[in-house]
Amino acid sequence: MTMKVLSGNYAQSYAALLARAQVISAYPITPQTSIVEKIAEFVASGELDAQYVKVESEHSALQVCVSAAALGARTYTATSSQGLLLMHELLHWASGMRAPIVMGVVNRAVAPPWNIGADHADTMSQRDTGWVQFYAESNQEVLDTVLEAYRLAEHRDVRLPVMVTEDAFYLSHTVEPVDVPDPATVDAFLPRREPHAVLAPGRATRLGSFTGPDHYVDFRQDVGAAMERVREVLPRVEQEYLALVGRDLGGPLPTYRTEGADVILVTMGTLTTTARGVVDDLRAEGRKVGLAKLRVFRPFPDDELRGLVRDVARIGVVDRSFTFGRMGPAATEVSAALYTAANRPELTSFLAGIGGRDVTPHEVRRMFETLLSGEAPATHWEDIEEEVKADG
Amino acid sequence: MAKLTIPAQELMYSGHAACPGCGPALAMRLLLKGLGPRTILSIPACCWTVIATPYPTTALGVAVLDNPIEATGASVSGLRAAADAMHLKDVEVVGFAGDGGTVDIGLQSLSGMLERRTNAIYVMYDNEAYMNTGVQRSGATPRGAWTTTTPVGEGVRGKPEPKKDVMAIVLAHRPAYAATLNPSFPEDFDRKVERARSIEGPRFFHIFAPCPPGWKFDSAETIALGRLATDSGIFPLYEVVDGRLRITRKTGELKPVTEYLAAQGRFRHLGAEDAARLQSEVRAEWDRLLRRERDDLSGSH
Amino acid sequence: MIEIRFHGRGGQGTVVASELLAQAAFLDGKIPQSFPFFGVERRGAPVTAFTRIDDRPIRLRTSITRPDVVVVLDPGLLRTTPVTEGLAPGGLLLVNTPRRAEELAAPPGVRRASVDATRIALAHGLGTAMLPIVNTAVLGALARATGVVTLEALGRAVEQFVPARPAENHRAARDGYLGVRNADPAAAAPVPATFAVPAPLAHPEGPVASVSSEVIHTAAWRTFTPVIHLDRCTKCNFCWKFCPDAAVELGADGFPRIRLEYCKGCGICAAECPPKTIEMVAEA
Repeated sequence: MTMKVLSGNYAQSYAALLARAQVISAYPITPQTSIVEKIAEFVASGELDAQYVKVESEHSALQVCVSAAALGARTYTATSSQGLLLMHELLHWASGMRAPIVMGVVNRAVAPPWNIGADHADTMSQRDTGWVQFYAESNQEVLDTVLEAYRLAEHRDVRLPVMVTEDAFYLSHTVEPVDVPDPATVDAFLPRREPHAVLAPGRATRLGSFTGPDHYVDFRQDVGAAMERVREVLPRVEQEYLALVGRDLGGPLPTYRTEGADVILVTMGTLTTTARGVVDDLRAEGRKVGLAKLRVFRPFPDDELRGLVRDVARIGVVDRSFTFGRMGPAATEVSAALYTAANRPELTSFLAGIGGRDVTPHEVRRMFETLLSGEAPATHWEDIEEEVKADG
Repeated sequence: MAKLTIPAQELMYSGHAACPGCGPALAMRLLLKGLGPRTILSIPACCWTVIATPYPTTALGVAVLDNPIEATGASVSGLRAAADAMHLKDVEVVGFAGDGGTVDIGLQSLSGMLERRTNAIYVMYDNEAYMNTGVQRSGATPRGAWTTTTPVGEGVRGKPEPKKDVMAIVLAHRPAYAATLNPSFPEDFDRKVERARSIEGPRFFHIFAPCPPGWKFDSAETIALGRLATDSGIFPLYEVVDGRLRITRKTGELKPVTEYLAAQGRFRHLGAEDAARLQSEVRAEWDRLLRRERDDLSGSH
Repeated sequence: MIEIRFHGRGGQGTVVASELLAQAAFLDGKIPQSFPFFGVERRGAPVTAFTRIDDRPIRLRTSITRPDVVVVLDPGLLRTTPVTEGLAPGGLLLVNTPRRAEELAAPPGVRRASVDATRIALAHGLGTAMLPIVNTAVLGALARATGVVTLEALGRAVEQFVPARPAENHRAARDGYLGVRNADPAAAAPVPATFAVPAPLAHPEGPVASVSSEVIHTAAWRTFTPVIHLDRCTKCNFCWKFCPDAAVELGADGFPRIRLEYCKGCGICAAECPPKTIEMVAEA
């Protein structure tokens, strides 16, 4: 193992290198670009033996990966914001083709107006495309999750594409120490891809095809069933990662100081780090607060969440994007998961950090206090309302 | 038994779902004869999506990948990259797209594939409209042709705009090989497939593919119509290797275009003026090809 | 409510027939509903369309699986498609055929009617011998055999809504009305089990299709059959070379043979045969 001071983007690049991705295809977009620039260096120097296809759009980038995966190659691509939206059609193709692509996504705001700040609107609007979604909190987690993602994506029982996201600038361009595992260790954890259900050159095989109502539903159900099996496969993958590399990523919904908590805040990505400090402060003051990190968004960790809130009075969900005509998307999902919970706590959807706004410890503390006050609204625009008050 | 003039192998199966007399079906059959069993096809949404028959059947005796209509160029780049990365031997990666999927919605992807110099063959089978959706005009529909979106009526005489020149677009990318092919001339067709297979780099086929229901002619006339298209100069046969153009079929004097127009219901409304205009355009293009061939031969371009 | 199912082949006007019937029923003051089965519509391929007619708003939006009336626009389909499926005793089978209604096979208790709509269509210049447009003549026969619409309403619907040649189509509808032949319910004439329906296909592992399309027989698409007069055949292979369906095979003796389970009857082999030894013969 080697400690390196890396950006979140370079953590993605090193993970693709260690995974020995065979086909890489990408198109530049801020703030993703340095991921694929670094990979280009790896390929140019011979460190990574891969075909790197430089394409004329993100749509083509993902098509290259879908087609390469159809022949059995291990593929990697990365994008952000508008690029991910342009890929939308191909996201469905990837899951429908059962292509185990791993993609890094730097979460960035969607235009208009143009904005390159951290925001989850890009990936949230792709939640129904059949991709497994991971949201990372640190650069270390980015690297570890990409490696796990390949094992998960290529697992015989899964065979689905996976996106590993990181917040724009808060991770993508933030450097911090990252423990980079040895290639031999990674090779032991992640052997070459075993191709299942791929095209066989020299034989009559058609992947994609068309069907009437008779078979189409089978294909859809198969994707759904594979997504459900992620729940069983992920813990096994994480156990092996822990055994070989020595890090435990904590499953789909890692928690922090939730024992005996009256209120719990659910966060995603980098907001989690800030919230940890706030929880410590509040706990020191004797307030019974806890934190849960929504690390896997698809498949959604329903059981873990229901178990977590058994004795909780109130839950807050912080979203870095929102759904027009609804609350925050993660809050919507949490609300759906809790419908069948034995104990249904009250729920507040906090909207914060939209379009790259900083979310400070002060603001997170206020969220906890709102929840503890017992008069939390259903939806709360955390930072905007405070701005308005400050201006007024 | 007479000696076969094209390969005996059949890699397109019967039972497929093409209309009777389908030009694109014959194009596929002849193409696969020349390409052989180690072909990997990428097919976008087009007539062939359906012709190839529904899951779990397939009418193609080779590996086939479906791709969205606008992404064939990218798909062949991906297949080629994977074949190279995995050291697959002797595979030929081929995109097989319709005219709309190539000159309209797929043009960016085609340009990207050519510019990247992907070692693959891109085939555009040209039935001159969106036929899978039921005859709507595309950028490849010729001027004057009836389609459901260029109807004929009072003051409307089919498509007002001329056909997009896909070969000029492709040749601007300096491909390793580019050729026009016509299933009515199977030997010329096969020779071009063989030639292309002997060359590495981005290669392009523009295949003439008559559509009996879309062009409104009797299904028995597909081959005859194709011959007429080439021999009247509407669809000249040529190839360009390393930038040098060679015409592969010359029959002395071109036949008048009126015969070609009269053979199809989609042109029935056209008058003598329309025919004269087309005739002079065809003549000018044929003369341009002859000049270019002469110049290329003498090396003076 | 009356439920009518149309069976035809792509290009014959099957879907238009179901819509014209709906328009005519509406002109009669009824509430109609009509829709095609969206499948692989290709010229010559089997096509299904549905019409429902009622006095009250129709509360079904599904395919018709238990029709009161089955209309067959192409007699070739009787050999290849289970057209009478779901047709109960008391129902009606109407077929476009030169044969008499008594000769039609049908499930017990089903009334039979026939009309030579092909002859009528060609007499009025509708379509070609290869692909006659028989829908309006068949609708005329249907009006008489069932009374679901009046001839007057049908005529007005045809004049207003057919895509081309309204006058000729109107006359064809009238001739179909006059030319329909009825037969009593079949006593026990079982439907022959000669359908070329392929065996059920296995669901292979994963989303890869790998079963040869040759399990699908496209003979039903054919109106004319090529017959090779081998005595004049020069073994030039042109028929083999130009067949878009790969339906011509060359024997060890060098003579071509048509694979009739796949031939769609396009006529290219006959048109291209240099010594003209191939004849296109109308299907019985």
